[in-house]
Amino acid sequence: MTEFKEKSISIEIDTARCTDCTTKACIEACQTYARGILQLVDGAPSVSHLGPEDVLRRGTECLACEYHCHQRGQQAINITIPIKGLEDFLAGQPLTGRA
Amino acid sequence: MARLFEYEGKNFLKDSSISCPEGYVAETASEAHDIAARMGKPVVVKAQVWVGGRGKAGAIKLANSPEEAETAARDILSMNVKGYPVRKVLVEEKLDILYEFYAGVIPDSSRHVRGPVAIFSTAGGMDIEDVPEDKVHRAPVEYEKGLPVYDGMDLAAGAGVPNELLTPVAGAISNLVGAFKRYDCTTLEINPLVVTRDGRLVAGDCRMSIDENATFRQREVKVTIPREFPREPTDFDILGWWVEETDFRGSGFVMTMENADAGAGCIGFHAIGGGSAMIGIDALSRVNLKAANFADTSGNPVASKVYRVAKVILSQPGIEGYLLAGFMIANQEQWHHAHALVKALREEVPKKPGFPCVLLLAGNKERESLKILREGLAGLPGRIEIYGSERVDDSDFIGQRMLSLMEEYRKDKASSGGGK
Repeated sequence: MTEFKEKSISIEIDTARCTDCTTKACIEACQTYARGILQLVDGAPSVSHLGPEDVLRRGTECLACEYHCHQRGQQAINITIPIKGLEDFLAGQPLTGRA
Repeated sequence: MARLFEYEGKNFLKDSSISCPEGYVAETASEAHDIAARMGKPVVVKAQVWVGGRGKAGAIKLANSPEEAETAARDILSMNVKGYPVRKVLVEEKLDILYEFYAGVIPDSSRHVRGPVAIFSTAGGMDIEDVPEDKVHRAPVEYEKGLPVYDGMDLAAGAGVPNELLTPVAGAISNLVGAFKRYDCTTLEINPLVVTRDGRLVAGDCRMSIDENATFRQREVKVTIPREFPREPTDFDILGWWVEETDFRGSGFVMTMENADAGAGCIGFHAIGGGSAMIGIDALSRVNLKAANFADTSGNPVASKVYRVAKVILSQPGIEGYLLAGFMIANQEQWHHAHALVKALREEVPKKPGFPCVLLLAGNKERESLKILREGLAGLPGRIEIYGSERVDDSDFIGQRMLSLMEEYRKDKASSGGGK
């Protein structure tokens, strides 16, 4: 499992699935739609060639790797995008008066 | 500009050495009763809303006893003043009024001023716009210097303030200018500035707005959302603001437009750009649909921000459809919108089978973006139609499609006994 964070999102890659992947669509997507922070290491996508600060600086939160992995890969990538207050709003909890 | 309630503004006036009537805020009728009992004198109960004309609307009532204050507060707290609900009242001592003046400070952007202007009139207690021009007196303010008391004296004397009141009135005007500067105001008005029969000079009301760009340094001024708002922000407004609050990568503006009751024809509205938003809302209006919210994701926002905006829009209870109103050939790379919308709609549409979505997306990387939308949304259990630049100038068509899909959705829900 590879996990890393961009400015406001978290990316999880179940790299065990990547061994069966023939397209490596996430790598191409990262180069096409963002800055190519994902690189292939031992057949799986990785950001290990960058430090966490470089990942934060270069990551553009484009969401493309998840989409293209889902469509053409092995559905190995899951991106979590927290939305402050959404859960409480849906539960009918008041948001007024909260920082 | 970020507006403050009367009671909030008065607290800052007091900190600026401008006297205000004794008063306290209540959120319930029983609190109003207790405040009036504690004060032990006749009071005025005043709705705290961001609209003028409260008196004419019956949202300001006199009370001679705690019981009357309780009744008045109960009435006022159940009111909508010009469409805005009253959530708080100010219970304030009743003033024995001798004179009512007007004092205000506003910026004047005209070429010969370009700075704040102090305004004073002896015809207070009414809208300053309705006061004859010859009774409205102005003095440009040198921002760094403020308005010295002797300039305030000239202004008050020119307006015809009685001699014995010149010194306190001039002091109040000078202090008002000081408060305007201290709190980075865009408007600061006292109307009326009251002279009581026992000789006090007090602020009868206060209208205060501060520059939204200065809220970061005005920590003591509690502004929920530092944007121009016609009313107190709703929970939905706050939810939308939290998307934008710490993320400046393009625009992700979201705010309430209507209360989206089920069956009311309210659509979750997501525009790309301000002009596009106007065309989109027109398109909905022409087929008697309403935008439940306003939203704009332009200026090349990152996909994660577009996703958040879409999720917030789709979280509104009672919406009967979703419209991506991209009535423009945008320069921003639209594939970021495409990736974001696929993720959001894949999560949300299965929760509302048959939910109508009309997506209009045109501009830079359009062909690739539409391919992502069509491929990514295929097979979802919604009524999803996707259009590009071939329909970018056909708002009638887009509005009609939204209406047709929504009517089908309603029929489905009715036949399945789904109701709301």
